[in-house]
Amino acid sequence: MDNTFKFESKQKTFLLGGMALGLLCLAITFLTDDSLHTRFWTNYLHNVTFFTGISFMSMFILSAFLIAWAGWYTYFKRVWEAMTQFMIVGLVLMLPVVAGVWLGFHRLYHWADADSVAGDEILQWKSSFLNPTTFTIASVLIVAIWYFFANAFRKSSLAEDQGDGSYDQNKRQTVLASIFLPIAGFSSAAVIWQWIMSIDAHWYSTLFAWYCGASWFVSAIAITILLLIYLRGKGYYSDLNASHLHDLGKYLFAFSIFWTYLWFSQFMLIWYANVGEETVYFQTRRDEYPALFFLNLGINFLIPFFVLMRNDTKRKAGTMAFVAGIVILGHWIDYFLMIKPGALHTAHELMGHAHSATADAAHAGEHHSTILAGFHYPGLLELGTMLGFLSLFLYVFFNQLAKAPLIAKNDPYLEESLAHHIEPPYTDTF
Amino acid sequence: MSAKVSPIREPLINGNKTYHQITEDICAPTERVPSLPWVIGFIVAVTGLALYVFCLAWTIWFGIGTWDLNRTINWGWDITNFVWWVGIGHAGTLISAILLLFRQKWRTGVNRAAEAMTIFAVACAGQFPLIHMGRLWLAFFIFPYPNTRGPLWVNFNSPLLWDVFAISTYLTVSLLFWYTGLVPDFATVRDRAKGLRKKVYNFLSFGWTGSAKHWQRWESLSLVLAGLSTPLVLSVHTIVSFDFATSVIPGWHTTIFPPYFVAGAIFSGFAMVLTLMIIARKIFKLEDYITLAHIESMNKVILLTGTIVGVAYLTELFVAWYSGYLPEQWAFYNRVFGPYYWSYIGMMTCNVLSPQIFWVRKYRRNIVITFVLSIFINIGMWFERFVIIATTLARDYLPSSWSYYTPTWVEIGLFVGTLGLFFTLFLIFARVAPVIAIAEVKSILKTAGNQYVGPDAIHHHHDHEVKTVAEEIKAIK
Repeated sequence: MDNTFKFESKQKTFLLGGMALGLLCLAITFLTDDSLHTRFWTNYLHNVTFFTGISFMSMFILSAFLIAWAGWYTYFKRVWEAMTQFMIVGLVLMLPVVAGVWLGFHRLYHWADADSVAGDEILQWKSSFLNPTTFTIASVLIVAIWYFFANAFRKSSLAEDQGDGSYDQNKRQTVLASIFLPIAGFSSAAVIWQWIMSIDAHWYSTLFAWYCGASWFVSAIAITILLLIYLRGKGYYSDLNASHLHDLGKYLFAFSIFWTYLWFSQFMLIWYANVGEETVYFQTRRDEYPALFFLNLGINFLIPFFVLMRNDTKRKAGTMAFVAGIVILGHWIDYFLMIKPGALHTAHELMGHAHSATADAAHAGEHHSTILAGFHYPGLLELGTMLGFLSLFLYVFFNQLAKAPLIAKNDPYLEESLAHHIEPPYTDTF
Repeated sequence: MSAKVSPIREPLINGNKTYHQITEDICAPTERVPSLPWVIGFIVAVTGLALYVFCLAWTIWFGIGTWDLNRTINWGWDITNFVWWVGIGHAGTLISAILLLFRQKWRTGVNRAAEAMTIFAVACAGQFPLIHMGRLWLAFFIFPYPNTRGPLWVNFNSPLLWDVFAISTYLTVSLLFWYTGLVPDFATVRDRAKGLRKKVYNFLSFGWTGSAKHWQRWESLSLVLAGLSTPLVLSVHTIVSFDFATSVIPGWHTTIFPPYFVAGAIFSGFAMVLTLMIIARKIFKLEDYITLAHIESMNKVILLTGTIVGVAYLTELFVAWYSGYLPEQWAFYNRVFGPYYWSYIGMMTCNVLSPQIFWVRKYRRNIVITFVLSIFINIGMWFERFVIIATTLARDYLPSSWSYYTPTWVEIGLFVGTLGLFFTLFLIFARVAPVIAIAEVKSILKTAGNQYVGPDAIHHHHDHEVKTVAEEIKAIK
């Protein structure tokens, strides 16, 4: 049993190639973009928030499982520990967006444009929350605090490997996890409001933060499934059995339904009450982005729901990899759909202040049948950019995974995890 | 289920129980003459029930005018009580279904009583929508069926009708789940009984023989019911929240309502389970089966759901401000500083602040504190519904219509009376059925009994087994 992951140069080259592709796509996007570089900046924000959120959710999962005395996942918990380490990269990647809010070299946020705020009562009202300072605090300070906990948690977990058989480190991790969870619960909402909800600066929904969080959670589980299947194929985690996969599959299934539940709750209540300030959000998406609007539900609900409903599909590596892959793409599209319409609208507004003819043309494009690649559907540049960020995420992940033993040998739940199996009639090989 | 158990797991059954002792301990309360505390409790509960019947008769005879509802505040204690009871009815199904799917062993100690409580709570909840119609004899109008009333048809667009479907489905599935679990245990009681008692329990247990085929079908059925119940845990209170959130009333129309109501329901349900179980374990001497580990786990659920509810309260306040929408801000201003400010304080203190002491392990495992807090939460969750309903209605769009609402003795009597109904049913249940699932507790004895796991475990020498684990770990190192 190989207990150390070796990050081979072939993998490195491959991932660096992916990153180069991402950079190239970003560069092309930047050069071929409109005058405000809307497509470039939305793509950038989209991927940074998506992958940072996945990293954040890994820490959330670790903390929640530890506090709930779960034992089954311990065997592969180093995977989640390594995933949490991307948070610091996400923080750095967020810095250009933060700088842009101050310096105005991007126009992602309507509220960050002083001229718009001056003529807009609602934005003036919100300006004590939607302002560069608060945005900086949310993006830098809060993420730094999350990373601090993730880092301390991982250090304690690694220290446990050198342990003396006492459960002190386990206790320490429990303390860290129980401090982290409420902080995460409160602060993630603020971060999501700032990063995502404030793109549609006039719009508001109390459920929005939980909805985004659920999307991150499902993506984190899906990525975990793919990584474990990959690592096992490489000869690592050879004791990983079908029951572990089955339980991850249950999480993917349950939280896909939970995400749909939140999607439905938010949509239905807004649709039913029909208050103009709120319906505008879904009106825009349903009328002008209909393909993505329905694709989002189809991919993120119907596929995991029908494929994973049976017990045996959750125990097959191929099926699980298929669903996990689809679902990650689906939630990436979900974030695409959260970010693009509002940012495009903002860009048109701002371009409109400069040249009214351009604005009229732009608005016409937004409201009628003109379909813009990169806005109304993810174009090849978006996919390339996504692959670039995914490669970066994986590079950081594998790099961190290689730094520590794959198995937390002194974790008091390890034996339970190794012996984890769900009752017959199933076999545990997959 | 894994037979290897982590060394830091606490046992869930104390007292070195054998299988036979488990049967003895749990069947005993159904076989003895009722104890004095039970008799006193029963008299009090039946008195409450009598009060309920009286106030119900009063309401029906004299009409809803005997309540203090008015044109502005047209929902008062009636719907508050309804939502409160439905919420309490959530813990049972969560424990029996979701915790079953999560393979939580501690559920076996509390699931039976929690499920019973669920059913009785839903029964209490069901009273209020019926009573508040005023003309109780027309209650069957809520069912959609071809009728002779011409165009008078139920309104399928109304969440109030969805409630009818959601709650009746929930009651049906919960009842089935509960009864399915009881079948083998009724058979155990039957096998120990004589005469008429034996005949009755034989009937109740559907002639259960305990054959392998019976168990196999029983387990399949449990899993199917768990699968059916899991979405119901979410759906029922979601639809209750729709009663408010689909409206355009500021303070009611907010998208976070569905998940926040569900979290609050689980919160209040667990509080009620704790209230009942702390009393039951004492009266029926079940401390070995409902251990401090059980209480600690339930307190963790309380801390979690209480904090989720707290996040939701603050989110609502924040987004009300953030929205820049004046009526919304006014509604929340009134909630906090308006005429019912005291109920908002009660809600915040009981639901959000007080459970925070459960961060400390010592308090999670303190029975007196847990009991007091469970009562606090029951009160706080009642306040929450009152805050949402009465506060919001009291200050509506037209200042000339503003009003204040205080319940009459009839409304108070109805609420106190449903407590009587609830406890009457629960006390009868505790006498006639095993309050702990005997078969399920037995199924975890080998992996959670204190002679097998935990610090007092007696070490058995299964050399080969020890070796395989050791080998495995050595290989990893």
